[in-house]
Amino acid sequence: MTNKPQSLYIHIPFCEHICTYCDFTKLFYFGKYEKDYLDSLIKEIESYHINKVKTLYFGGGTPTALSDAGFERILTFAKQYLADDYEFTVEANVENLTESKLLIMKKVGVNRLSIGVQSTNDKLLKEIGRNHTFEDAKRVISLAKGLGFDNINIDLIYGFKRQSLRQLKKDLANFIELDIDHISIYSLIVEPGSILYTKGVKEQREGPSRKFYEVILKTLRANGYERYEISNFARNGKYSRHNMTYWKNQEYYGCGLGASGFVSGNRYTNTKSLREYNNLNFVKENSPVSPEENLEYYLITNFRMEQGFSRQEFKQKFGRDFEDLFGDKIKRFFLTNLIDITPDRIKLTDEGLLLMDFVILKLM
Amino acid sequence: MHYDKKHIRNFSIIAHIDHGKSTLADRILELTETVSQREMKEQFLDSMDLERERGITIKLNAVTLKYHAKNGEDYLFNLIDTPGHVDFSYEVSRSLAACEGCLLVVDATQGVEAQTLANVYLAVDNNLEIVPVINKIDLPSAMPDMAKREIEERIGIPADNACLVSAKTGLNVGDVLEAVVNYIPSPMGDDNNPLQALIFDSYYDSYRGVIIMVRVKEGKVKVGDTIHLMAANKNYLVTEVGIRNPKEIKTDELCAGEVGYISAQIKDIKDVHPGETVTLLSNPAKEALPGYRKMNPMVYCGLYPVDSKKYLDLKDALEKLTLNDASLVFEPETSQALGFGFRCGFLGLLHMDVVQERLEREYGLDLILTAPSVIYHVYKSDGTMIALDNPSKLPDLTTIKEIQEPYVKAQIMTPKEYVGAVMDLCQNRRGIYLNLEYFDDTRMIATYELPLAEIVYNFFDKLKSFTKGYASFDYEYSDYKVGNLSKMDILLNGDVIDALSIIVYKGSAYERGSVVVRKLKEIIPRQQFEVPVQAAINGKIIARADIKAVRKDVLAKCYGGDISRKKKLLEKQKEGKKRMKAIGSVEVPQEAFMTVLSIDDD
Repeated sequence: MTNKPQSLYIHIPFCEHICTYCDFTKLFYFGKYEKDYLDSLIKEIESYHINKVKTLYFGGGTPTALSDAGFERILTFAKQYLADDYEFTVEANVENLTESKLLIMKKVGVNRLSIGVQSTNDKLLKEIGRNHTFEDAKRVISLAKGLGFDNINIDLIYGFKRQSLRQLKKDLANFIELDIDHISIYSLIVEPGSILYTKGVKEQREGPSRKFYEVILKTLRANGYERYEISNFARNGKYSRHNMTYWKNQEYYGCGLGASGFVSGNRYTNTKSLREYNNLNFVKENSPVSPEENLEYYLITNFRMEQGFSRQEFKQKFGRDFEDLFGDKIKRFFLTNLIDITPDRIKLTDEGLLLMDFVILKLM
Repeated sequence: MHYDKKHIRNFSIIAHIDHGKSTLADRILELTETVSQREMKEQFLDSMDLERERGITIKLNAVTLKYHAKNGEDYLFNLIDTPGHVDFSYEVSRSLAACEGCLLVVDATQGVEAQTLANVYLAVDNNLEIVPVINKIDLPSAMPDMAKREIEERIGIPADNACLVSAKTGLNVGDVLEAVVNYIPSPMGDDNNPLQALIFDSYYDSYRGVIIMVRVKEGKVKVGDTIHLMAANKNYLVTEVGIRNPKEIKTDELCAGEVGYISAQIKDIKDVHPGETVTLLSNPAKEALPGYRKMNPMVYCGLYPVDSKKYLDLKDALEKLTLNDASLVFEPETSQALGFGFRCGFLGLLHMDVVQERLEREYGLDLILTAPSVIYHVYKSDGTMIALDNPSKLPDLTTIKEIQEPYVKAQIMTPKEYVGAVMDLCQNRRGIYLNLEYFDDTRMIATYELPLAEIVYNFFDKLKSFTKGYASFDYEYSDYKVGNLSKMDILLNGDVIDALSIIVYKGSAYERGSVVVRKLKEIIPRQQFEVPVQAAINGKIIARADIKAVRKDVLAKCYGGDISRKKKLLEKQKEGKKRMKAIGSVEVPQEAFMTVLSIDDD
């Protein structure tokens, strides 16, 4: 391939506490696993012969659950792959985003933080298995800002069945008060494999969920945040460059336990078994993406962006005009008020974004 | 190698479903070393995947075997396996016409069942020698003496010589082969007479065209002969003859008494019908063989390709299926909702099911079936009568004097403790009680006249569940009776969907209307707008349910690993969509067209 991926994702699967909604690959943190894992991880990253990437993202699990030494080692190792104009994000939990971790990041050159605040309601935080309070969150955010981190994202979850609209509005008000540039806001999904699923907790019903989303959209927009992706809002142009790789259906390296990647036209998923991983059997599934599949992937991802995609790029990639391919279906299924076709771009309308999965299924 | 007629035996096996017919055939194939252990699959003659999966025989299947008998002589057996289900009795009559005898397999734990009776009567009608075989004697609950007594008392044929076997373990199966030699007559016929060969089956080969399976009754046929199909009045040059064991083996000729295949570059499927007589152009027979009793379809439904572009493919596939399924009939029809398709006639619901599955599997078609309907006789005020096979074509009400519907006379055999439940079921389905009698100490036979429309849909399933699977059921067509009937239309988004119209009994119309709209509401995927579903009789709405609009349908987060997961999920939904038909802007799944027959809440 002439165009090598410009993004690298690195997965740190360790957690000190397991959040009840989480279905990602994760393990309770035990110091003895750490060294072996990082050794294997470094070998995997090296195996790709990466030249330079523009974005680097440490996710988890909880990257900040690592020991300070391990944390510094892996961050420093990965940093060598970054080009000059880079974005380097590390995910952190409030409870283990210590001053020493922040200093390490500062030293290595991390320039974006993503902090799992999740809620500003202490009771709810406890219920979902988070071990921090909103006061704690405020404290670490001001600590981070004080150390010069000016590109911070916080995560918010909404849509617990018993959550009231008043609680949501309170969350939003609190979040806005934090005065940060990026907010990711997700409706709760009870995934099979999560503790909530085992407990039989249900998601919010569709009607209220829509109402909540509308309130979020309106409130954040009114406060100067731009929705650039279905669940992501930014001010001052502080988009997540790394995540936009995903949403533009571009290739990326994915390294670490259970990570997935998209390299040289193949999508792959790594093993979730630590033993296998430490035996250096990294990849579990790997399959080439056919042109038809790629079209589906393209829509699944690009339609998530408020700006959709450019007609010209679409034609370049797939050889035909979007309307040529889908015009009939758009007309037949009355999708015209869900898909906005402008002279240069194809995007979903506000209503279309709410019904994105429905729209894509109709187009398939 | 050539066998004289004295050393040929043509026989079939008849049995009730599940009594072990195909397993016995497997053992016979093994014992005669026709099929090596390596090639042996269970239920070998059930060559369709569908047959193996469901454990039923759908199509007759002929195979030639060699047998070295205890008397030291070699015999050639032609075994023709037949289906057991009531829907397929026509297949049974076809194979019987090609045989001199048959094995009657009776399950030693179950005894004689209603369907067994029907098939034995067919065999007796064909003057066949019947050899009773009592199967499953290895089971602890086997009662071979009871089974023998029932064969003698209920059917009226001697059973003291019955073979007692276990087809599963192979116990005494050798006795069966000896019984075939000793009791089943060798074929008659003279090689020197003009050729008379009965076509009992045919199949399509993309290289050689239609291959016909024949039983030669008189004369002989060889490569290079020009054959004449007497009913179709067509001539063909024979390029190959042979037997099947069950793989094709070329032979020089087929003589009187033998069973085999003929390939004669027959290109047009329509020229070949089971029951047809083959003779030679140069020395024709004076008359054709009696052929088969033609079975009339009892149940009709519309068959449409999901993708309208596949209409011609469907036509082609239906034509090929009729090659060896003479009872399948079809003619083109058009539906406003579904486009171009065919109205097809079947012998029963299982037959319909099987045809649908064969079309989908063997021809890769995705189909929409409308609810099965019987043929109504609609008498108009002007004295004319219309045979109505499609409810949506019911003429204007003001022109109709009365509607008559077909009834069947049903005999239900059940253990006596379930007789109450069986009678309730028949009453609920508008049955007319005729008779109730003891069959033996533990079982009773209830006889009812029932509207065919009532048994078309899940009557058999209900019967099975009410009697824990113990009841058996047989029916024959009786006559037409006036019914208090009217047409129920279903409206989707305000438009009548013609493919969903059904004829209903007025007494239960309201109830059925509300069940149907409720079921449709569950089945039809939601749209971005609300879609009302209504049931109407004579333009009057009798029930309504609304399919709520989709309010929010989007994956909250979608990062690296989520993308592939989302794609897989989408893939699954797409699979489901394959069986949906877009009617206007609403995509309606296949099963929706069956829900109009929903009767209750299960």
